[in-house]
Amino acid sequence: MLFAIVLLLTIGCIAFALAREARGVPRPDGLRGRIRDRGWALLLLPVAMSAAVMAGGAHGLIPAELIIAVLLIVFAPKAAARVVPYGMLVLAIVGVKLARSYQGGNTSGVQYLFVHAVSHGGAELVLAEAGVLFVTGLWLLLRLDAPGARPVRALTARWLASGRGGISGVAALLLIPVVGLTMQLLGPGNWFGWQAVDGLDVAVMDLTLLAGALVLIFRSRAWAATLAAAGLLVLGAYGWVIALFWPAVPGFGFAFVDLQNSPPHETFWGAGLEASVLLAAGLWLAPRVARHHLAGSPDPELVTRARQLTQRVQTLTQTRHDAVDTAVAELRRIERDLHDGAQARLVALGMSLRAAERLFPASPEAALALVAEARESSSLALTELRDLVRGIYPPVLADRGLPDAIRALALDSPLHTVLEIELPGEVEMPVAAAVYFSVAEALANVSKHASARSVHIELSYAAGMLRAEVTDDGAGGADPALGSGLAGVERRLATFDGILAVSSPPGGPTILVIEVPCALSSPKTSSC
Amino acid sequence: MRVVIAEDLFLLREGLVRLLTAHGFEVVAAVASAPELLRALLDERPDVGIVDVRLPPTHTDDGLRAALQARRQVPGLPVLVLSQYVEQLYARELLADQAGGVGYLLKDRVFNDEAFTAAIRNVAAGGTVLDPEVVQKLMVRHSRTEPVTRLTPREHDVLALMAEGRSNAAIAQRLFISEKAVSKHAAGIFAKLDLTLSDDDNRRVLAVLAYLES
Repeated sequence: MLFAIVLLLTIGCIAFALAREARGVPRPDGLRGRIRDRGWALLLLPVAMSAAVMAGGAHGLIPAELIIAVLLIVFAPKAAARVVPYGMLVLAIVGVKLARSYQGGNTSGVQYLFVHAVSHGGAELVLAEAGVLFVTGLWLLLRLDAPGARPVRALTARWLASGRGGISGVAALLLIPVVGLTMQLLGPGNWFGWQAVDGLDVAVMDLTLLAGALVLIFRSRAWAATLAAAGLLVLGAYGWVIALFWPAVPGFGFAFVDLQNSPPHETFWGAGLEASVLLAAGLWLAPRVARHHLAGSPDPELVTRARQLTQRVQTLTQTRHDAVDTAVAELRRIERDLHDGAQARLVALGMSLRAAERLFPASPEAALALVAEARESSSLALTELRDLVRGIYPPVLADRGLPDAIRALALDSPLHTVLEIELPGEVEMPVAAAVYFSVAEALANVSKHASARSVHIELSYAAGMLRAEVTDDGAGGADPALGSGLAGVERRLATFDGILAVSSPPGGPTILVIEVPCALSSPKTSSC
Repeated sequence: MRVVIAEDLFLLREGLVRLLTAHGFEVVAAVASAPELLRALLDERPDVGIVDVRLPPTHTDDGLRAALQARRQVPGLPVLVLSQYVEQLYARELLADQAGGVGYLLKDRVFNDEAFTAAIRNVAAGGTVLDPEVVQKLMVRHSRTEPVTRLTPREHDVLALMAEGRSNAAIAQRLFISEKAVSKHAAGIFAKLDLTLSDDDNRRVLAVLAYLES
């Protein structure tokens, strides 16, 4: 009766929890909705029930535990959910202990989940249930992000991380049964004729072997798999030797075959069958391991490098795309400006001159007026060209390099500017232009929005990094996400792996920092 | 008046030579690079050198640097610098020695030959001529600061024209007011900016520029 309730509760709770996880299902109102809201926490019910039942059942323990569980589920569903995995793990450990105590001769029967265990039977089932509980508990621990999940997750992530030797985790895990089978074959206390002093020696050796195997599995998947393959082949071969020559060869137990107590024909068939399975597994694994070793194990440094390079290629693809886009947009703007500006002025100029030519014999004064107009037109065309060129590549930057170009910017700004420039060499032109336009944009923003009175511009170079800092004493509260200008600056800098950071707390000051990795050349020598 | 011209574009160089010759200047040398310019300025000792900022060999600001070097060797050697762009930074460098005899104009000012030749004569006489565009930028810098905001609009105009290097007479003509009115405005400006008034046109310009550059 009790198992039936526990079983139903477990299935029901898992169904609810999974249904809640299902996407796109709106939460129904009423009782169903509330139950679904409780989600994984509902699993506390079967866990509490199992614990109570195992502890004896009677004397009001079941109602007491269930009430506590229900209260937790109702008032603290999150905490209840997080308790569940630990409850399961504790139940699993208790199960293992229980199974051992039955093997040790305990006779009092205990209800463990679905099994009523007594010393004559059920211990194996208890062990199996404990295993299921342990795995489920661990899974829920990760699933629910319960406290302590992080180290477990880190360990599994490390273990599951692809590229660790190119051998699948399952292959490496095969080392565990191989070690187990080997220990079983050697038997307790009888190592091929060498009698251990007492059981402690054997326990120490078994533990050492197991620990060694686990360490190897985590440290080097490839070598664990190699050892597993070799072990499978040797064990398989020895299994056939046992099948054919037992009892002339030493051995204690071979997998499911108890060599010491089985009749000869059972030994032959059992060992032969198991040996074939082991050999097959070994033959399946060996070529994979061999191929891996022949291909040369990838240097972890190379693997890291490959990952870095992949990321780099992604970044470069993006920034190149942005740079090309920016360049095309820039060319488009220049084309439009020339078309609507200087080109149109020159056409007007040509027309004025032609008209003046025609008018000249009849009315020299009118012709002169047209010539003056033409001159005006050429002046305007020049002004427009000048502004255009300044936007493409500022003349001072071309003439003098970055420091003087920043000085010229500061002079042209209506704000009071304080400059602090310390560059031990020349900045190459493309980077200089990007930094120049970034600082220009920053200054323009300050004079437009910040209601600032003075600006501090700092230009420095340290550890391969060119750094520009623009600080104003304005009102602050600037949002870099709002300005399209700063986004453009960011894209422009990204082409050179440069970054832009803005700090602008309400009340100021606003600090804009630009950092671009670059090399400086030696200072230009004066040509005259 | 003896003139040295430095301009690397053949068409412009020939145009300048023709224009200046037509206005009675004697072009003693017309060169196309910075080293040639430096040699011509030091050898010929012209009354004024007309220099393009951008010249070979590096096609950056070689012309300007050659002119500045010549003025370091011959203090006050009159130089009129022409450029497609005017930069406050360069104006500042030209004015730094406070010796006068300096001009800095946009190339398009050549279109107005009377004003251009007047500017050359002004520089040759030790005056200072600044392009209106530079002056405008200088004024913008000070447009929000205290004493300049106290100037009347008229005084503001006069200050700008003074900074360009114009004489009282030229300012009067430009603003359609009497020379006396200009003097009165000048006195008002100098009082408000706390500068000492001088009758010497050039020293007055330098005082104004020194103030605006501060």
